[in-house]
Amino acid sequence: MRVSSRRSLLASLLVACALPWFAGCPAATPGAGDPTQSGGTKRIVFLINIPDPYWEANLQGLNEGAKMFDLASAGLSVTQDPGNGTTEGQIEKLRQYATQDDIVGVAISPWDADSPAIVEELQKLQKKGVKVITVDNDVNREKYRDSRSFYLGTDNLIAGQALGTGLNAVLDAKGVKSGNFVQFVGNTESDNARARMDGVKDKIGADFVEVAREADGSDTGRAKDNVRNTLLNHKDIVALVGIWAYNAPAITGVLQETNNTGKIVVGTFDAQELAIEAMAKKEIDVMVVQNPFDMGVQTVRLMKAMIQDDQATIKEMFPKQGEPDGDMYTTGLRIVVPDESSPIKKELYEEGVVEFMTLAQFREWLTKFGLKSS
Amino acid sequence: MQPIIQIRSITKTYPGVVALKDVSLDILPGELHAICGENGAGKSTLMKILSGVVGSYEGELHVGGKLVQFGGTRAAEEAGISIIHQELNLVEQLSAAANIFLGRELRTSLGFRDDRAMEQAAEHLFRELECNIGAKQPVSELRVGDQQLIEIAKALSLSSEILIMDEPTSALTESEVERLYRVIARLRARGVTILYISHKMDEVFRLSDRITILRDGRTVQTLVTKETNAQQITQLMVGREIAALDLGTERTPGEVVLQVEKLRLPWPGHARQWRLKDISFELRQGEILGIAGLMGAGRTELLECLFGAAHDPVQGTIRLHGKVQQFAHPIEACEAGIAMVTEDRKRLGIFAEMNVGQNISLCQLKEATTAGLVSSQREEAMSQSMLQSLAVKTAGLVARITSLSGGNQQKCIIGRWLLTKPTVLLLDDPTRGVDVGAKAELYRLMDRLCREGLAIIITSSELPELLTVSDRILVLSEGRQTAMFSRAEATEHRILEAATKGYAEAAQAN
Amino acid sequence: MSAPSGRMLAWWPFPLTETAIFLAIVLVYLVTGALDPNHTYFNAWDASAKMILRNAALLGIVALGASVVIIVGGIDLSSGSMIAFSATTCALIMMFFTQPEVQASGRIAMDTGLVTVSGLGIFLAMVGAVLSGLMVGTLHTWMVTSIRLPPFVATLATLVGLRSFARGMCLFLTKQYWGSETEKITVNTPFFGWLRENNVWISSVVFLVLALVTWVILSRTVLGRHIYAIGGNEEAARLSGIRTENVKWFAYCFSGLCSAIAGIFLMADNSTVQPALMAQGFELNAIASAVVGGCSLQGGIGTVLGTALGALFLRVVIDAVAKLIKAGADVYQGMIVGIIVVVAVTSTQFSTISHSSRQFFPGWRGIWAIPTISLAAGMCVMMGSANIQFAKDRLLLVGIIVTLVSLAILSFIKLLESHRAK
Repeated sequence: MRVSSRRSLLASLLVACALPWFAGCPAATPGAGDPTQSGGTKRIVFLINIPDPYWEANLQGLNEGAKMFDLASAGLSVTQDPGNGTTEGQIEKLRQYATQDDIVGVAISPWDADSPAIVEELQKLQKKGVKVITVDNDVNREKYRDSRSFYLGTDNLIAGQALGTGLNAVLDAKGVKSGNFVQFVGNTESDNARARMDGVKDKIGADFVEVAREADGSDTGRAKDNVRNTLLNHKDIVALVGIWAYNAPAITGVLQETNNTGKIVVGTFDAQELAIEAMAKKEIDVMVVQNPFDMGVQTVRLMKAMIQDDQATIKEMFPKQGEPDGDMYTTGLRIVVPDESSPIKKELYEEGVVEFMTLAQFREWLTKFGLKSS
Repeated sequence: MQPIIQIRSITKTYPGVVALKDVSLDILPGELHAICGENGAGKSTLMKILSGVVGSYEGELHVGGKLVQFGGTRAAEEAGISIIHQELNLVEQLSAAANIFLGRELRTSLGFRDDRAMEQAAEHLFRELECNIGAKQPVSELRVGDQQLIEIAKALSLSSEILIMDEPTSALTESEVERLYRVIARLRARGVTILYISHKMDEVFRLSDRITILRDGRTVQTLVTKETNAQQITQLMVGREIAALDLGTERTPGEVVLQVEKLRLPWPGHARQWRLKDISFELRQGEILGIAGLMGAGRTELLECLFGAAHDPVQGTIRLHGKVQQFAHPIEACEAGIAMVTEDRKRLGIFAEMNVGQNISLCQLKEATTAGLVSSQREEAMSQSMLQSLAVKTAGLVARITSLSGGNQQKCIIGRWLLTKPTVLLLDDPTRGVDVGAKAELYRLMDRLCREGLAIIITSSELPELLTVSDRILVLSEGRQTAMFSRAEATEHRILEAATKGYAEAAQAN
Repeated sequence: MSAPSGRMLAWWPFPLTETAIFLAIVLVYLVTGALDPNHTYFNAWDASAKMILRNAALLGIVALGASVVIIVGGIDLSSGSMIAFSATTCALIMMFFTQPEVQASGRIAMDTGLVTVSGLGIFLAMVGAVLSGLMVGTLHTWMVTSIRLPPFVATLATLVGLRSFARGMCLFLTKQYWGSETEKITVNTPFFGWLRENNVWISSVVFLVLALVTWVILSRTVLGRHIYAIGGNEEAARLSGIRTENVKWFAYCFSGLCSAIAGIFLMADNSTVQPALMAQGFELNAIASAVVGGCSLQGGIGTVLGTALGALFLRVVIDAVAKLIKAGADVYQGMIVGIIVVVAVTSTQFSTISHSSRQFFPGWRGIWAIPTISLAAGMCVMMGSANIQFAKDRLLLVGIIVTLVSLAILSFIKLLESHRAK
């Protein structure tokens, strides 16, 4: 064998040299820790499903929450951990958390609502005493409700219905009585996607036929191709619906390049920067906006309360605990329209469930919290 | 006159082999200097050093009075030396002009490639060489002779003062050879110095001013062509003292083992159509049959046919022990009792990553297994027995095969095949790259094996070798059998005559 | 291949590469355990070991197959897709053995979670998955030996092709059987639940058994010797009477088989099969393990122990980084694997480079490489320093200093080299 004996020795030495750098501050300041905090800061981890601008607002919410509820003095910190858009990736991360003793709370937006493996890892964490909640996406509530204590986030069915109602109003105002529509999403199997799409289908009107649900695997390039192919493959398309944040610019982009802007009604979820601009140009007729910022803030509030066993706060957030769906906290949901001239009116929505905003009002709110998207 | 090239005591060794030993030589400007020698005499190594292919050696090389050591062919070209290899170095997909300017393409003032200028320049060169090659023609569409002219044109475009031609006529037809001679005359008229490597006497005497003979990596002598004759040169080329070997005199061949009738091997897409045509011979037990022939005569192909290793289907009949055989894969030949030691040990023989023991046991490893598992004890015993019976000099079974000298490596490979207990052993140029002492040892080994009842076929590019070991010699020329000599009849002269016979005939046929 | 005697450390009875990797693994484990503020590797060594083993066994199984193909002189780029394909095959066969589910409401529904698969169904599904691996291996052999495609091209075709084929198959068959098409199948049978629960031990045992089998084949059988022979010198092997096509057939089938087995485990582990997303990039980590473990991509060189340790080493380092960087460690995974591979393979050539006149930074090409490498080093350190207290506020300064220092060191090497060349 020609292999030099020095090969891996060298490799290991290099790796060993590089490790302290990864170790970060505790290694750099040994013995400097506060003796009252033996064991150091405990961590709350927020595991997202896939990196996206949508989660940036959430990160700001987490940081805001950390300040608001003074995590530092409670010996806690919160970090956001990016997933890679696969079930494998999330399982791997959850197992990693299980080996690390400084993790006391896990908030997760599950990539896959039905995966028994994710559920089992969550249960193992709970067994270890780690507090587990789901945010933004829930696990399959029928089967795996007990794998998390609480769910924070949008009621996606209501969100979908809100968008469906809006689309119906716009189509009606345009005099379109029937036709086809297509919904675009990253993963048709995702729980939130399913609920939203079902909601839209519920309320858009019985004369409009959902001819397809196109999945793109969170690939923005394919998201555009899906829209292109839809326009080519189906006739009489009257509305396009973007379910995930990046679907909105994908739809408006393709409509622009095919000169279809304004001819087809567009409804989307989540206010990405590009989507906000598109709505300003009236390329999007209606937008349902979740509040990932608030999700961040509420996550910190709830996790801190759970870790410190602060029943008063928990009771405040979940007054109906014990009743059906009493373990769900709905973060704010907004419907945003370009301006007052929109056929969608505030009266269409139930007060307290959906907040009605024009784009100008929405932008004001963003600026207030230093956000670019929501 | 000041020599344009001075070679001073150049020595080049490869692991296990001394390729050049203390070679000194002067080339005068404007002369055509022929370098003669047998295969393996060191001609190619010397040319590789001159053309910058080989950069590390001992000794000094002066070109135009300056001491040089080329780091690559580019450096040699800059010093004015170009080489036309036996195996042409052209990119077949590119046009003639593109090949001539490969690596130093002409550019327009904007920096783009200037194809027009290159084509014009190429056409100009071709006109100068009196030949009819389209500059835009892809090289793959050209005949070998024309391809060679492209290499010459390239050398001209580099305005090389020194041109090395390595056996340039070996692949040419008679008319192409004549044209080449005319081109050479033109080059000489321009004052180009030519180093001409060949072992064909008629060419050498027709073209050269002086002749240098190399043998076993040493310069034997430099002679002025006019003052010598072909006989003297041949003698000097061959004239090694073969250790007085008294081999084969008392061998008595037994019954016929192998019978070959009208063997043919097609050559699809080639003008000659057949790599081998109508070869017939018999091989008896305890006999060594030598196969002589120039390079490309089909020696290796013949052995490959017998061994089932030919790449095209073989026609004709091969009888082994009276039974007609048709081998589709070497394993079938091996199982029938034929073994073959391939030429070019490094490329086709040894497994460099394996040790000596593993190299020897490879073909017969099955015999050392119990229930499918190899018993390392039995494997070692097997290899060890061969090391001893063949007297291989090695540090042990676990030594690396590449640490052995050429002769000992060859013994290991012969051992590999002897383990399969063959009745016919095919040896393809077994002494190539083996030094003289080891050669004699290999000859004795062949003799011994023969006496033990093996039938051997050996090919060699060295005639004296064949004359030493063979009972009979079959001569091939361009794929045809042109003579069969008994030991008593065979002389170097007669063999060479038969080996070059095809050339004349082929020329007439063309 | 046994190591030749007569070089440094000749007294050491074990192969040096393997020893070195082993030491490296221990070193990384200890250093990480010490640096990690939680000292997870010491405090929870069993959980950590389990975590590492689970991944290493899976990677190791695939790497074994990859190494056999590499030793025979080929390459198998299709492993990741093969895993997805075998898992899909497995799940789809089980689908045909589900019984309609009677729900609490008394409603009868299709069992789309694959809960009620019969024992026979599970058995046949696993056999089917394994067979799919052998069939793909045969396909590779056919493309390589009969059509004479280079192995890289043949397996590149299946790398992109198989995954897509699996997705299509999934959509088609679920539509036929369940009436609604889906690209994701949930696997929730008690058997696979049990397998998931005990995955660490079972996959480790399977890996060890497979490694043992591979070791026996490679070093104790005629076939194994032929594998090394073909990888070392294919034409010489043919002329030695080896039926090279058949040996390759074994190698590619073995690789397919290993990936197929890994596919079953990964399916159990994920509890879902989604061919579009499953086991992406697995093939490259498997090849990297083999290469780090001493296999030569030219063929003819490599050991089972080396490959196994290579896989373990990769996983340990990846895991160590996850312990040290608390969030988002997987961002750096590719970078780490890349660096390990480059360093490991460079150090094999280290002695040849330092003994010959070959240079690390020859000519203008070399001069350009120096700032490139320096900038990369500076950037890496800057990224890593973001968490370090004393460097946090001086990131740019740190980056510039590291860049300049590497620039100086590399330029010094360059100067030395050009001096030596003269």
